[in-house]
Amino acid sequence: MKVSLFCAIATTLLMGSAPLQAADKSAGETLYADACAQCHGPNAQGMASFPSLSGRDAEYITSRLETYRAGEKVGSNSFLMIPNATDLSDDDIANLAAFITESGE
Amino acid sequence: MTHKPVLRPLSAFIASAVIIGLPAVATANEPELSQTEVLTGLENPWDMAFLPDGTMFYTERCRGLSVRLPDGEVEHLLGMEGTDEYATTADDLVCEGQAGMNGVAIDPDFDENRTVYVYSASNMSEPRTNRVLRLTVNSEFNEVSDRTDIVEDIPYKPAATDHPFGDAGAHNGGRIRFSPEDGYLYVTTGDNHNSEIPQSPKLLGGKVLRIDRDGEAAEGNEPPEGFDPRIYTYGHRNVQGITFHPNTGQPIVTEHGPWHSDEINALVNGGNSGWDPKPNMAGRGDCPDDYCGYEPNQTEGMDPKERAAYMPVTDTETYPDAMKPAWGNDGLSQGMAPAEFLVGEQWGDWDGRLIVGFMGIGFGGTSVGQRINLIDIAEDGLSVNDVAEMPVPMGAARFRSLVLGPDGDLYTAVDEGSIYRITPE
Repeated sequence: MKVSLFCAIATTLLMGSAPLQAADKSAGETLYADACAQCHGPNAQGMASFPSLSGRDAEYITSRLETYRAGEKVGSNSFLMIPNATDLSDDDIANLAAFITESGE
Repeated sequence: MTHKPVLRPLSAFIASAVIIGLPAVATANEPELSQTEVLTGLENPWDMAFLPDGTMFYTERCRGLSVRLPDGEVEHLLGMEGTDEYATTADDLVCEGQAGMNGVAIDPDFDENRTVYVYSASNMSEPRTNRVLRLTVNSEFNEVSDRTDIVEDIPYKPAATDHPFGDAGAHNGGRIRFSPEDGYLYVTTGDNHNSEIPQSPKLLGGKVLRIDRDGEAAEGNEPPEGFDPRIYTYGHRNVQGITFHPNTGQPIVTEHGPWHSDEINALVNGGNSGWDPKPNMAGRGDCPDDYCGYEPNQTEGMDPKERAAYMPVTDTETYPDAMKPAWGNDGLSQGMAPAEFLVGEQWGDWDGRLIVGFMGIGFGGTSVGQRINLIDIAEDGLSVNDVAEMPVPMGAARFRSLVLGPDGDLYTAVDEGSIYRITPE
């Protein structure tokens, strides 16, 4: 039982961490500089009407980007985020999440 | 003899340039620019004002008023709600959405009265308002006192609406400047996403106010009959830049466009700038939350010319006498905000140029456009002769404030969190 439970936990952890391990933070940094920094700031600190992303975890960033990519509104800046997210691939989102999460630490 | 091989091609090039009409490079006197980061790590720095010795008062939108002394030391003077490192904290000064502490100006007689002014959102009254505060600075530059709110009733957007950037606290204007010509304080305000405000004779949003140092109407204001006498011009959307022509004193403002047509306008005493985003007029039907400012399609891209025809920034059909813009950013909206004039021989060919900063937006196919433009504007402010981009060392940024310092250098605050000095060489 103990062995099976350990294996189950380990498998879950591995599966859960797989996307982050595969994420390319360097690619995320490049994409962030091109598409995000002009509003959210070079260090994701937020500027003016555009919220800070510092301290947000990868799950939050991924969820929001997937929501915007699906064309769903979240907040008063959705009109800007939806077109920005429309063409993001799963890898783009994972890369952005990996970079943003680290940049805010 | 040894110079001839060099001189001949150069003279030949100049001659060719003259013959074929190219810009005569040899006669151009455009300065090279270098930059120094004066302050960094700031939170949304919004405005600056200088004393002759270089002392710089500056605001951070959600923190408050500080001063940087000539030796580089910084004193935090008046903090907003939630701050704890300021000499004084005013818990009624609030930050929400686009609102907070905005413009700062120094009294022309500072040496005698040690007075400064700031524009800030406040919850002292209900509903909230934007206010102009008058403050006295002590001799050590480490405290302010004698707060007097000389304007208490500039409207504030109290709740979110169904519009882009639709959160509470939107469209406050917020730049304050003393005219070197008439000595009055000019206060720019915004429309709060409220269609009744810009053309309202009594509500002070969507206006440029001209007041004395007690907040009373300036002598000579000529708004239409029945208007609040503090109103100098009306029918504005969200004015975040105001400056004065160095030769004529002509006040000139910048106006954010709504997905199209940022504008530069020369103000006419009592004039209407022609912004009226009310529904069910000028060919429009109902609009989200009774404000047509981003219509006819407020959340998706479309041709800016179609937008301008439907919801003009300056509606000259409804208001034929409206002040017409000197320049409209080629029909685009890219967040035009601060305005200033470059003055002094150190600026070479740019001496006398109007400069305007763009924060950038990038919506619906319009490029983001973060930059500073150099504009050759006519003395009467009614037209422009040339528009060019200033090759600033820091590159793209959200240029929030532009102020010519007492040293003749240009200072700019950027939303990224820095204040830079740009030096011509």
